[in-house]
Amino acid sequence: MKNTKNSSGSNPVWQFFTSVRLAIFLLIILAITSIIGTIIPQGESMQFYLDKYGPDMFKVIKALKLDDTYHSWWYLTLLGLFSVNLIVCTLNRLPFTIKLFKRDYINVTADYLRRVTFRREWRISGDRPELKEKILKIFKKIAGSYRHKKLENGDDVFMVESGKWSYWGLYGLHISILIIFAGAVFGSVTGFKGRLMLLEGETSDHAVASSDPSKKIPLGFSIRCDRFFVDFYDTGAPKEFRSDLTVIENGKEVMKKSILVNDPLTYKGVTFYQSSYQSIPEVSVQVTDPSGASRTLVIPAFQRVSWPEAGITMGLMKFLPNVHGVPAVSLWIGDSTGRADSIWLFKGGPKEIMAGGKTFKLNLLDASERYMTGLQVKKDPGVWIVWLGCTALILGFAIVFWVGHRRTWLYLGQDGKDMVVLLGGQTNKNRLKFEQDFEAVAQAIDEVTGEGR
Amino acid sequence: MTFSSSYLLSITTFIYLGAAALYLIHWVFRVEKVGLLATFVTLAGLICQTAGIGMRWVESYQLGYGHAPLSNLYESLVFFAWVTVLVYLIIEYKTKKRVIGAFATPFATLAMAYASFSPDVQDTIQPLIPALQSNWLIAHVITCFLGYASFAVACGMGIMYLVRGSGEGKGLLSSLPSHKVLDELMHQTIVFGFLWLSVGIITGAVWANQAWGTYWSWDPKETWSLITWFVYATALHARFVRGWQGKRIALLSIIGFISVIFTYFGVNFLLSGLHSYGSS
Repeated sequence: MKNTKNSSGSNPVWQFFTSVRLAIFLLIILAITSIIGTIIPQGESMQFYLDKYGPDMFKVIKALKLDDTYHSWWYLTLLGLFSVNLIVCTLNRLPFTIKLFKRDYINVTADYLRRVTFRREWRISGDRPELKEKILKIFKKIAGSYRHKKLENGDDVFMVESGKWSYWGLYGLHISILIIFAGAVFGSVTGFKGRLMLLEGETSDHAVASSDPSKKIPLGFSIRCDRFFVDFYDTGAPKEFRSDLTVIENGKEVMKKSILVNDPLTYKGVTFYQSSYQSIPEVSVQVTDPSGASRTLVIPAFQRVSWPEAGITMGLMKFLPNVHGVPAVSLWIGDSTGRADSIWLFKGGPKEIMAGGKTFKLNLLDASERYMTGLQVKKDPGVWIVWLGCTALILGFAIVFWVGHRRTWLYLGQDGKDMVVLLGGQTNKNRLKFEQDFEAVAQAIDEVTGEGR
Repeated sequence: MTFSSSYLLSITTFIYLGAAALYLIHWVFRVEKVGLLATFVTLAGLICQTAGIGMRWVESYQLGYGHAPLSNLYESLVFFAWVTVLVYLIIEYKTKKRVIGAFATPFATLAMAYASFSPDVQDTIQPLIPALQSNWLIAHVITCFLGYASFAVACGMGIMYLVRGSGEGKGLLSSLPSHKVLDELMHQTIVFGFLWLSVGIITGAVWANQAWGTYWSWDPKETWSLITWFVYATALHARFVRGWQGKRIALLSIIGFISVIFTYFGVNFLLSGLHSYGSS
């Protein structure tokens, strides 16, 4: 924004922040420092940085928080300074703009109109009211509706004005940046970002915070994944990820929706996005103890399953869906004393194993996969403020660069025995178009005054 | 090669090469007729390329994928060249200064040549992965590339400004538009590009919010587009408020376009992130 001369006093702090030099300096510094976070991988573990960059660079990374550059104290300080600079520059310019806006541009003199950017003058001998009438008619027809002012000396000024409000476009443009910042801050304070992994058929009433996996975020309702689908193109590239979700509140199903990557579900301000998936194996094994007693154990992933009476515990270590046409699993086998062993089992190939001094016979009955959908869960009440800011940014920009304050004056006066006709024009944007419009009026006046012939 | 979109687009590369050469000849030997010919050749290239892009769109439906040809590096390069030529022709039409063509059409030629002949760039039509299946794809790509193409032309003008020197003699360089004209044109072009870059960033944010649940995640591509935005914001403020003109703005225009190039290619090839599908 323009540095105006009427800045409030000589307070050096105020002076510092009103300087546009600071704005330009901050823009350049922000451009340069923003590069850092695109070169150093963000959000990795401390060990990662130590291994990759060595102890010296690691100290710098840790001190300046370069693992999370854009939320580090110094980057946020830069953004804060930028905001303060923006506010102060805006306030500083305000009196100047108000003056421009409040001024009544019809208050011009003949001399002023002889000095404006676009100007024409005609002198016609005699007092000819009918010609005045004609010129005025043409002025209205080509230039538009005018305002009229009678001067003390009896002369008349007519003015057509447009786009005076465009002086405020600059404020819209700059305040929009602050609105976007405000929306981002408001959203991060009042909302949350989380994740949720749901097995098909599973229901959850909470998500897990993205920033801290040990933190549970209650949803206020429950969400169930009925099914998950994944589809591929012939090329092997993924074609569609889809989760069929049901929202349950107070024991009632209140909403059902199939979500896709670009088509999330929103309920009560909380939005669920399709973000990833996993296939989870589920294995059933028939176990027979030395006495001939037998039991079928179903082993889900990440869990141990026991047959306490027989003194055997099993867990799933690895699942291969297709080994020479049959599924295979690697099982962890523990006995009652705490000793452990492992074994590979193939479907249709029973095996024996020792556990706690007894020989067990194991037979893999079935090994299948269940899908687990990975959802991104978000509540962001500030997002509408951000969109409002974005809209203001674009509108403000268009106004600043393409809407001008256009003024066209017609002065009809008497200078002794001569009739004086002055046409003046001024604009602060798009001179070319204005000049064309101005010329059109001037030519029409040429014609009625006889100069055009 | 059968008659296909790739064929038309390869031909386009040579037409643009010819146009660039003609503009150069027009500038060096100052033959007005060659300039007119250059304009017609460029226009022919644009028509051929438009047909090629249209055909590729149709072909993607025939393959059963059915998407606008804006989804991978090859298609984006072709689109970049198309918008650059379009923006240039509009400027030529408005200013009648054909000399600019010698500095603008080479960008389109290079983009097309890279797309058509580099082994890194696959020109097969690929299906859309789930993340790209959105109507925002078209809005986002078109707005971003309107910005990129304008910045390419502005960069060409910046180079013209710097090589021209202030001499008023009769040399080759003095036949370039005057510093005053170049400065004004460059500014107008940057303003136009800046608006579209802003809209491009915003449509990207809206799309990201719909697909990933965050409108801004500081992914390298996003960050670099913001860096580019900072560079041009600096240029605009420096001009308005500090009265910077000419050489300094010309330099910023070139730096800005380097940042555009890095946003476009550098991020894909050198940095990893969410936008990696743009690299193949």
